[in-house]
Formats: sequence, structure tokens, C-alpha cells
Amino acid sequence: MVNDKNSQKIVDFIQNWARKHSIWVLAYGTGCGAIEIPPTMTSRYDAERLGVRGAATPRQADVLLITGYLTVKTLKRVIRVYEQMQDPKYVIGFGSCTINGGMYYDSYNTIKVLDKYLPVDVYINGCMPRPEAVLSGFARLQKRIAEGRANGAQQYKDNLEWYRANQKKIIPNWIMPEYNW
Amino acid sequence: MEKVLLDILGAIVTFLVAFVVGMTYGGLNRKITARVQNRKGPPWYQNFIDAYKLSSKKSAIHHGVMHHLGPAFLMVTSVMTLLIVPVLSHNNWFPNLNFQGDLIFLLYIMTFGPLGMALGAGQTGNPNSAIGVTRGLSMMVGFEIPWVLALVALMIQYHTTSITGLMAVQAHSGTWLMFSSPFAFIAAVMALFGMFRYSPFDIVGAPTELASGPIAETGGKYLFVMMSSGSVFTFAKLTLYVDLFLGGADNLFILIIKTFALYLIPLLYSLVSPRYRTEQAIRWFWGWPSFFGLLAILQAIIF
Amino acid sequence: MMKELKEKIVQRIKANFADAAEKNDFNYNRLDFTVKKETIPSILFYLKDEMGFIHLSDANCVDWLEEGELELVFIVWSPKDKIKIFVRTRLDRDNPVMDNLDMIWPQLNTYEREFREMFGVQVTGLEAPDEFILEDWQGPPPFRRDFDTAAYAEKTFWERPGREDAQDVRETIANRDGEEIPDFAKKYSR
Repeated sequence: MVNDKNSQKIVDFIQNWARKHSIWVLAYGTGCGAIEIPPTMTSRYDAERLGVRGAATPRQADVLLITGYLTVKTLKRVIRVYEQMQDPKYVIGFGSCTINGGMYYDSYNTIKVLDKYLPVDVYINGCMPRPEAVLSGFARLQKRIAEGRANGAQQYKDNLEWYRANQKKIIPNWIMPEYNW
Repeated sequence: MEKVLLDILGAIVTFLVAFVVGMTYGGLNRKITARVQNRKGPPWYQNFIDAYKLSSKKSAIHHGVMHHLGPAFLMVTSVMTLLIVPVLSHNNWFPNLNFQGDLIFLLYIMTFGPLGMALGAGQTGNPNSAIGVTRGLSMMVGFEIPWVLALVALMIQYHTTSITGLMAVQAHSGTWLMFSSPFAFIAAVMALFGMFRYSPFDIVGAPTELASGPIAETGGKYLFVMMSSGSVFTFAKLTLYVDLFLGGADNLFILIIKTFALYLIPLLYSLVSPRYRTEQAIRWFWGWPSFFGLLAILQAIIF
Repeated sequence: MMKELKEKIVQRIKANFADAAEKNDFNYNRLDFTVKKETIPSILFYLKDEMGFIHLSDANCVDWLEEGELELVFIVWSPKDKIKIFVRTRLDRDNPVMDNLDMIWPQLNTYEREFREMFGVQVTGLEAPDEFILEDWQGPPPFRRDFDTAAYAEKTFWERPGREDAQDVRETIANRDGEEIPDFAKKYSR
């Protein structure tokens, strides 16, 4: 009865509804995009009315919001932060730099395609994306969560070796804890 | 036997009421904060969604036994406080486990939870947690003094160490202790600021400064337990204040009105205050609140 | 007034450091000296201790690829005279070696670490960790002009293939998301 397919469906529906309406964001603000987060959260655009709220640490967060370019050095930290987050977790790539490098397309130290290293659920393009675009990105993530399609964490777990190979290709000095949950 | 079963059932009902009311107060807190900042704000039931989401997280990492037990310590403290505090004056539903001297027991048990929590936070090895714990204990040293002074003043003045005794005094004389011993009330309400840890006394879990301090390494189900224990503790504390100073309540409606009125004091004060530093906070508590506590003791001895 | 002051400074420097080639044709509060590598510590010490140029504004490195040299530029500032002096020196590009100067200004330590990492300048006697900003860097010093960043990036990082045609896809995206393009935005269509 409990493991019945239909009852599981109902539980999934309720859980996805709750996850959709309670998004705790860890804004990884090393890039210039971090400046768009305060207006998104405060009075003007008020993301909290959608249930979007800042989290202080990766352990508490649901969404890793990567605002802008990632250098090799920060990518290492982002991977570490991502792996500390608790399942289910989502990644939002924010700004052109995470999509194709943006204006840093020929930089010697900036990665260009984020989804080769981390499973990205939603991209928000623009340089910079306005707070409206950020909210639209959150709405898209909510839609994906409600449909049960935001399963980047599962994808990361299943294809861990492929992601690890990509990560180790640009981070030669790999001293990181095992990812085993 | 039947009475024990009824008590257990009543305890569960008390817990559920405390959980729902505490969570709703948390949601209203966020809503009021948002309205003051000219935002729309989350719905009042947002905290329930958050709690359910946290409890449905698939993985929960802990860093050892003490860290695993830390939230349980907090929960035990909250439930014990809740069960000792009489929720309503004349009611069979909410069990009343209090006894002669429960005020003293309460003073002890209210510090027990944070201590267990501190052990758990120490095991994570996160420096922010360690700093947060240190700050939390320092601030407890600060607000415990006016709080103890207020309670001791009540004990001296009315020759009783039980909460029901103090409620009986109020029922007998017809005046609330808020009016018959005002200095104790003022000192206790000022100590309430510290217990709630809202701004300007949010030095323990300052999110931007300490990454939420002692709970920095806590996520998922552990955070859910902490959140619910915090909500239950909020309700227990407010009910205790209502029992001690506002003459208790005869039914839930009056209780909610009184507790919410009390809750608005630290909440509204928090909205207009930035964060204190640790030493500023302790100095604040050892200033006027302690002075009012001493006045309360003087009043209790002289009159 | 300013001109006389600058003249005086030039004469004083020339008297003490014979190899200093000055450049004094700026019509604002700037002076320029080019010296040999060996003279750098003594001239900086002299400017700081004897002439009141106590503030180090900047230290920088310039890559003169065609001439096969690296140029170090130190900019010092006198709060009393309100004059800034550029002190330049040239290093051999293939074997750039300079002495550690952070006993003059402690903040030079940071600049020297940057020279070492970004330009490959060997700083003898510098006490600092090997890595400065880059982590696990294995290529050549990236700020040298013969380092092709675009080729390096192409070789090292993934590239997302772009779209060949530059179509206006807003209609498609709006249809997909069930949104409507407002009227005022339509006139910006390509």
C-alpha cells in the first residue's frame, strides 16, 4: 500500500509542490552578477513572495546560484560547495559567462561551459540579467521542479566519473573529499 | 492508568498546538517584516512549506554523535519547557505537569538545550559554529541576569516557586503581576529580547557575518527538527510570560491574543535595529534590564 | 613654480645617479627617470628617505616583446611637493632577474609576487608563497605578450558551438514559454 505507485505519485506531487515553493538560494557571488542579487531579494522585486530566500551555508541551501564567470580557482570551490549541499539540489547558471564564456571567451583562466563540470538545471542568459530575468529563471526552475524534471543531482551522481574527468582535466592538483552521498 | 494515557494524549495535542502556533508566528514574523520593508512578503504559511521541504530532503549529513544529537537536545528542552508551563488556566486537555519549584527547574532547563547544541556545533569543526556558540553563551550570561532577577523577585514577593502558585495569586487578587510588580515585568520583557535572538541581538546566528553560526553545518532533517523545536520553544516561552505576568488565559483565543501581543514587542523592536556587537549586547543586558531587576527585588523585599 | 621644483629635483637626481636619463617634457606634475637595473634600490631609497617621495603609487611591468626586454615601472609620489616620479628600468626578457625590494615599501611584496607569477620575473630573496593568484598554473606566464590566450583557452576549456545564422528567436522562445512580446518591444526586432 505504501509503496503503491499511485500513493508514491501523490507523495511526489506534494513534495515537489513544497520544494517548488520553498527555494533557499546560496548565491555564489564571485562574478559581477552578484550585484543583481540584492535588488532581486529586497523591496523592489521581492523574491521572497515566491518562497525564494537566501541561505547562509551550502548545507541549508537548495539552489546554487552561480553568478557570472568562474575561474579555475573558483570552480574548485564551487564544486566543493555543490558537493556539500543536501539532496535534492539544483544549479542555476547565471549570466552569459556560465553559458559560453561571454566576454571572457578568450581568457586563459575562465571556464566557458559550466554544464561540463556541474549539472545545470536552468540557465539565465544576459550580461547582466536584470532581476526580472532572474525571477523568470526561478519561475522556470519551479516549473521544472513541479514536473519532476529538475534532477541534476541524480544526473551528477550517475555520471560522476564523466564529471570528475572533466573537472580533473583543468584542476590538476585535486585534493577534495570523496563524494559519496 | 487512564489518566496517564489521557496525559500522554494531551501532551501530543499540546505539542501540535505549540508547533502550529509557533510556526504561524514565524510566518507572521516574515510577513510583518516584509510589510514594514514595503514588500509583499511570503504567505503566512511559508514556514510550514519550508519545514516540510526540509523534512523531505533526501540526504542528511552529520559529523558525529554529538552533532547528530544536538537538535534532539534542543527538542527535548522545548518539549520539557512546554509541558511544565500550564497552557490554559482551567482546562483538562492540556496536561499540567508542574510541581512546587518548577520555576527553578525551568531556569535550569532553558539553558540545557543551548548547551547540548553547543556540544553538537563544536563537533562540526566549522569555525563559524565555534564563534557562534561562544557568542551565544556570552549572550546567555547577559540576559540570564535580568531574567533570574525578575523571577527571584516574584518568588520573594509571593512566597511561591511554582507557576501555578503565581497564577493563583493573580486570580485571587484580580490584578496581573504585570501591574503589581511592574519592574520584574520590565526586566523580564527586556530579557525576552535576548531569548528570541532577533535583531539587534541576532549576534549568534548572524547569517551574513557568521553564516548562521551554530547551525552552519546543519541541513535537511536536522534543520527541520531545530526549526520545529524553535517554534515550540517560542510558544512555550510566550505562554510562560502570559502565565507569569498577564494572568494566564482561559481559552486558546485569549492565549493567542496575549502571546501575539507579547511577541510583537521583540519583533517590532528588531525591525528598527541593526545588529549589536557581542560586548554591546552584554552591556545592554547588564544595564537597564538588570537595574529594573534590582528594583524589582527591592520592591519585593520592602513591600 | 612647479617647473622650478621639477628642475631642482632633476638636478639633484642627476648629481647623485649618473646613469639616470630624465624625461621632463610633461606639462603637469610628472617626472620620468630611466636607470640601470643596479641603481633601482639606491634611487628608490634616496627618493623615499632624502626627498620625501614616501608613497609608492604603483609598480608595474611592461612587456617590450620586439626589443626583447621587460620594463619595470615604479611610481612614487611626494605628498609635500605634489609630484609623481616614474622610475623605469629594463630587464632581459629571456632571463629577467631583479632584487627583492620589499624592505623599502612592504607593499612591494605583493607587486613582486605579481611580476613573478604573471611575467616570470625571478625575484631574488623574495619571501612569499609560490602561488599568488593563479592556482595550479602550468602554462607560461600569462601576461607576456607572446602567450596566446585565445589559443590556450581553446585548447584547455570546452567551447559551446555557436549558432551559424543570427536569427531572431524571441518569437520562438515566447511561444515556448507561453509569453507575449509587448508591442513596444516589437519594433526592436531585427
